[in-house]
Amino acid sequence: MSKQNGFHVVTPLLESTGMSKRIGTTVYLKMESSQPTGSFKIRGIGYMCQNVRKNTKSKGVVCSSGGNAGMATAYAARKLNLPATIVLPSSTPQLVAQKLKDQGATVKVVGKVWDDANAEALRLAESEDLTVIHPFNHPLVWKGHSSIVHELNASLPSKPGAIVVSVGGGGLFCGIMEGLDEMGWGDVPILCMETVGADCLNVAWKARDLVTLPDITSEATCLGAKTACRQAFEYSKRPNVISEVVTDLQALEAVELFLDEERVLVELACGASLAAVYSGVIQRLQEEGRLPKLLNSLVMIVCGGSSVNLAQLQHLQAVIRK
Amino acid sequence: MSKQNGFHVVTPLLESTGMSKRIGTTVYLKMESSQPTGSFKIRGIGYMCQNHSWIKIRFFPTVFVCIGGNAGMATAYAARKLNLPATIVLPSSTPQLVAQKLKDQGATVKVVGKVWDDANAEALRLAESEDLTVIHPFNHPLVWKGHSSIVHELNASLPSKPGAIVVSVGGGGLFCGIMEGLDEMGWGDVPILCMETVGADCLNVAWKARDLVTLPDITSEATCLGAKTACRQAFEYSKRPNVISEVVTDLQALEAVELFLDEERVLVELACGASLAAVYSGVIQRLQEEGRLPKLLNSLVMIVCGGSSVNLAQLQHLQAVIRK
Repeated sequence: MSKQNGFHVVTPLLESTGMSKRIGTTVYLKMESSQPTGSFKIRGIGYMCQNVRKNTKSKGVVCSSGGNAGMATAYAARKLNLPATIVLPSSTPQLVAQKLKDQGATVKVVGKVWDDANAEALRLAESEDLTVIHPFNHPLVWKGHSSIVHELNASLPSKPGAIVVSVGGGGLFCGIMEGLDEMGWGDVPILCMETVGADCLNVAWKARDLVTLPDITSEATCLGAKTACRQAFEYSKRPNVISEVVTDLQALEAVELFLDEERVLVELACGASLAAVYSGVIQRLQEEGRLPKLLNSLVMIVCGGSSVNLAQLQHLQAVIRK
Repeated sequence: MSKQNGFHVVTPLLESTGMSKRIGTTVYLKMESSQPTGSFKIRGIGYMCQNHSWIKIRFFPTVFVCIGGNAGMATAYAARKLNLPATIVLPSSTPQLVAQKLKDQGATVKVVGKVWDDANAEALRLAESEDLTVIHPFNHPLVWKGHSSIVHELNASLPSKPGAIVVSVGGGGLFCGIMEGLDEMGWGDVPILCMETVGADCLNVAWKARDLVTLPDITSEATCLGAKTACRQAFEYSKRPNVISEVVTDLQALEAVELFLDEERVLVELACGASLAAVYSGVIQRLQEEGRLPKLLNSLVMIVCGGSSVNLAQLQHLQAVIRK
């Protein structure tokens, strides 16, 4: 919690015995679920808010969010004594709006998916002279997220064999790529995981063109950007980047297994990356020769997410397994 | 994970909005549940294993023996990192999943007796007959010293001295480590609330009797708190004016575990629930009304001791047993 490091903490890097047994190499969990506000978002958004405070005469910040980016913005703004307005799409669970108000933010609910809320945030920024904190598409956000790789470098005995990350709009992915380039680790295989129906990067990667999804049909609403950011699309063209998708059911099963084995409850969006091990994606990629059979180690970025509790988990179980 | 710091990590200190709202001051969660092996034990036990290996490994093949679930996990993990064999002795009250986790860490597992004290007797016997080095789960100065690192981390993270610290007490090892750390920091006057469950309340019983008392049996489901006698050092510390000893029921501890999972998204053991219940079941508020804690508390630090002897099936089992 030291100010010079921003508002995030250096998160634990823990060996997962359960995952390591499944894929036959050491799997490290980077526990971003242990961040203040419950996800990695505080890294990049904390960094950007600090920049706003230092370098502008801003009247406040505004953020459009599926919840976690909004939480990070509200938290950082509270710590900086900056007014914060968070705009949410109606798909966001109710508990999130309450948590944001608990952080002192003003909350507005607009539209169905993230893109609708974002349009309103831009309008408010213009009319009320607020600084927009973009949840994923800004170089300051990527720079803030890149701190995760510096921490990996300090903790790991050697360069990882692969890194697994969930992709929504691609902000975390961009931050990781930036950090890897800085470390001279630009050749480390990166497995970008999404869910069917919230797979904007995978669709763009296959089409070799930045594509906008017509709608978000996955329950993993935190991955619910219809278009990946351009920087993420550009990074995805690199030879070391692999893009895969899992179903909502596989992501849900991963959330349940992770809670059972590692005792931490994460969002469905996080389940997408956990499913890379639990649903055999890693093993399949190794069989296909797209990942080395002898992997040095695997780093699983446990992105976390605070838009989940037991009631929300039961709701997802009912909806996904109906 | 840097070797010079031992095998533990600097754990996150997170504000709990839910707890802060309940008691009207900032509550910080010290997330020992995020340690390798899932509990604070790796601090003291990692420290003790490192010290023993340095001394002994040069002259004898060293094998560690330890008792219990979480202490056993920490010992097995540290031993594996040091490339040393470990034997862990468990009482039969330990959930089955623990034995498997210990084997996954490469340890030999023996199940003996009903409660911790039975397993302890067997460990001492093995140490004698097979020349093993005993790693005591709570009653050793090296373990307390290792645990004291938690207070140094608090000092580095908190904006100011905390108003109070809440901790679960089993045999009292964590409590001793915290007291040692507080003395080193010059924070010896910080109120410490020691939480136990009814039926695993060896420190509370001793504190009330003003004498180190041995419980006849452990009747709480919080088996990780299940030492029949607190260590003497914990009993001595408990005499200080800033130490408060309280107990909650298994039901209150269980409700705290459920609420914590729901609000903070982390599943901890029932033993940890004992300290969480200090906020969720109104113990803090009552102590403030009784004048035993200040009404204006600077901040509260909740030591989330964690514990890996729990999963969803174990939680459901506890819910069935405790709510029958």
